[in-house]
Amino acid sequence: MPVFRTAFNGYAVKFSPFVETRLAVATAQNFGIIGNGRQHVLELTPNGIVEYCAFDTADGLYDCTWSESNENLVVSASGDGSVKIWDLARPPAANPIGSLEEHAREVYSIDWNAVRKDSFLSGSWDDTIRLWTIDRPQSMRVFREHTYCVYAAVWNPRHADVFASASGDCTARVWDVREPNSTIIIPAHDHEILSCDWNKYNDCMLVTGSVDKLIKVWDVRTYRTPVTVLQGHTYAIRRVKFSPHQESLIASCSYDMTMCMWDYKAPEDALLERYDHHTEFAVGMDMSVLVEGLLASTGWDETVYVWQFGMDPRAL
Amino acid sequence: MEMEKVRLRQNVLLNHLKPVTFPKASTDLVATVCAAGDSAAYERTGVFGDDVVIVAAYRTPICKAKRGGFKDTFPEDLLAPVLKAVIDKTGVSPNEVGDIVVGTVLAPGSQRASECRMAAFYAGFPETVPVRTVNRQCSSGLQAVADVVAAIKAGFYDIGIGAGLESMTVNPMAWEGSVNPRVETQKQAQDCLLPMGITSENVAERYGVSRQEQDKAAVESHRKAAAATAAGKFKDEIIPVETKLVDPKTGDEKPVTISVDDGFRPNASLSDLAKLRPVFKKDGSTTAGNSSQVSDGAGAVLLMKRSLAMQKGLPILGVFRSFVAVGVDPAVMGVGPAFAIPAAAKAAGLEVGDIDLFEINEAFASQYTYCSQKLELDPEKVNVNGGAMAIGHPLGATGARCVATLLHEMKRRGKDCRFGVISMCIGTGMGAAAVLERGDSADPLCNARPIKDNSLLSKDAK
Repeated sequence: MPVFRTAFNGYAVKFSPFVETRLAVATAQNFGIIGNGRQHVLELTPNGIVEYCAFDTADGLYDCTWSESNENLVVSASGDGSVKIWDLARPPAANPIGSLEEHAREVYSIDWNAVRKDSFLSGSWDDTIRLWTIDRPQSMRVFREHTYCVYAAVWNPRHADVFASASGDCTARVWDVREPNSTIIIPAHDHEILSCDWNKYNDCMLVTGSVDKLIKVWDVRTYRTPVTVLQGHTYAIRRVKFSPHQESLIASCSYDMTMCMWDYKAPEDALLERYDHHTEFAVGMDMSVLVEGLLASTGWDETVYVWQFGMDPRAL
Repeated sequence: MEMEKVRLRQNVLLNHLKPVTFPKASTDLVATVCAAGDSAAYERTGVFGDDVVIVAAYRTPICKAKRGGFKDTFPEDLLAPVLKAVIDKTGVSPNEVGDIVVGTVLAPGSQRASECRMAAFYAGFPETVPVRTVNRQCSSGLQAVADVVAAIKAGFYDIGIGAGLESMTVNPMAWEGSVNPRVETQKQAQDCLLPMGITSENVAERYGVSRQEQDKAAVESHRKAAAATAAGKFKDEIIPVETKLVDPKTGDEKPVTISVDDGFRPNASLSDLAKLRPVFKKDGSTTAGNSSQVSDGAGAVLLMKRSLAMQKGLPILGVFRSFVAVGVDPAVMGVGPAFAIPAAAKAAGLEVGDIDLFEINEAFASQYTYCSQKLELDPEKVNVNGGAMAIGHPLGATGARCVATLLHEMKRRGKDCRFGVISMCIGTGMGAAAVLERGDSADPLCNARPIKDNSLLSKDAK
């Protein structure tokens, strides 16, 4: 299975929703503490992973997302508080085609609306989440309720106006863009929540991953107690994601350098796979929508792996 | 500016790596008192100063009425020795006793109460110690002990004596005066008049206890009583009584000291018992051999709170845990223990399976056998030193004498034998049972001793 070596430390990887062999990787120099950033677009070929193109930035990049309406648009979240928009069809000199600069601090999360396809969210360490559309340079809405860094803001795959956010204030919130305030506040963990994601087959189910090494699955209708708690990681959970193909499959990657696959409905044998191919923090991962079972992960060890579920990422 | 940003980013990331401590109490789990009705008492290891404990329990020998060792003994001369014994053997001062309660059945009430008062005087109690009697037929002796326990717990007094007395030589079972014709209007009232033997036949018939089973139980009772007497097991609990025997022909009085039960037959065999004819019903199964004997005897139990016993330095023979009286159909009064024993166990927070030793009064082999089988009791744990068929059943005394027999046997058996039950059926359709515990089952909490000198403390402590 192919490996790609990035120049900087990897932070996020996202499969293209249009081209099944294409993925975007956001990277930052010096582990994202100080220095530049680079947005890669990679291509899977029979000869391995090759770079399709790359864009350099002044500050590190922490997340990236593909447009759902235009196969050439990539959006990156930058440490200097800006949101960069890239067009792969244009030459590198013309890029970025847009830089949205409203956040006061690092933008840590960026997510494109898969239902309405015209808007995207950015979550920032300035405690706010901003709603943007591709045609406007100003944000449409600011969601200001969290009391600490917002680490993730994720659209609901079914409902065009609903999204969830995960924050260092130990709450996960569910929002509706039509409402002024958050709809549901879930005190999901006793420690910072670094990631959340919606179930692609059950629009009321949410998964959160936290510094307390636990992954909790929630039904937002009964948010007092989690549906299940998945234990197994030995360091903070950096990212959690529900599978686009299987209802109960969850992928998680963690500072313990592993990526794990879980079946949250299995009571005893929830942990299905553990991939320990990274030699530094495993920070970014994605599951392809177009190819069932295709996984990608990136980490601070400057590598990007793409492999099939059930196989060893390091195998050739 | 740049370094500030670097520092902040570092801090955020480092906070993700801080070790995580989980809050102690999860809100998902709540600790509550366990409502299980099972043997919670079994796990009890603490002792409580307000437990009512038995510090002494003694009995006279039990002798056959009209023909045995006490045939010429006045009832109060049976009670006085045991009352004196509980005082002498413990060193408790008689004027500390708050009340003496005597279970006694057949004698006229006021007269027997006066006799008991006299017995207290004979035993050396001062006039300041009151006396009363109690009558719940065959359970009177046990009821007397239970009443003293209740009064001590209620704070009426600190030290009490529960006793039992019956001389069936002086007071045979009889009905004085006429019978109210009203009894014919209600079966249960009428059944209260049934002779006890008829109720035994009813039990044998209704629950299918055969003549042979009954005779076997009687043989066992005699065998065990004989073995216990021969082994000297009753020596700890029997108080010898100095009395007289009068020759019925010549009228000569002979002073005697009665110190053993005289009711049991060491050589009783199944064939001997099979020869006896049914006494109460034609073609019945209850004979004189498989019924309890008519007897004379007395027993006394000294009770106080544990804290007081420890203060006085008295060894604790047993702890009174629970008492229950239940009502059953008068026509089959013998089934009383089958209901009373589970109720008493439950009241003590135990199950019948937790009880290590039983004293079930053998009023009749039919009811005794039925109750043992119904409760699925281990025969090795029931009436191990014989029962009323061999030893005798002086009605009011039985309950109190069973306390002595049970506790002394539990003491011999060791710490393994922790809980015991005394139970009997009661004429007119009742049953009573009490749970007692070994005195030394639970360790006193405190092993602190008073310090004699301060040499181990620093100078500042002085």
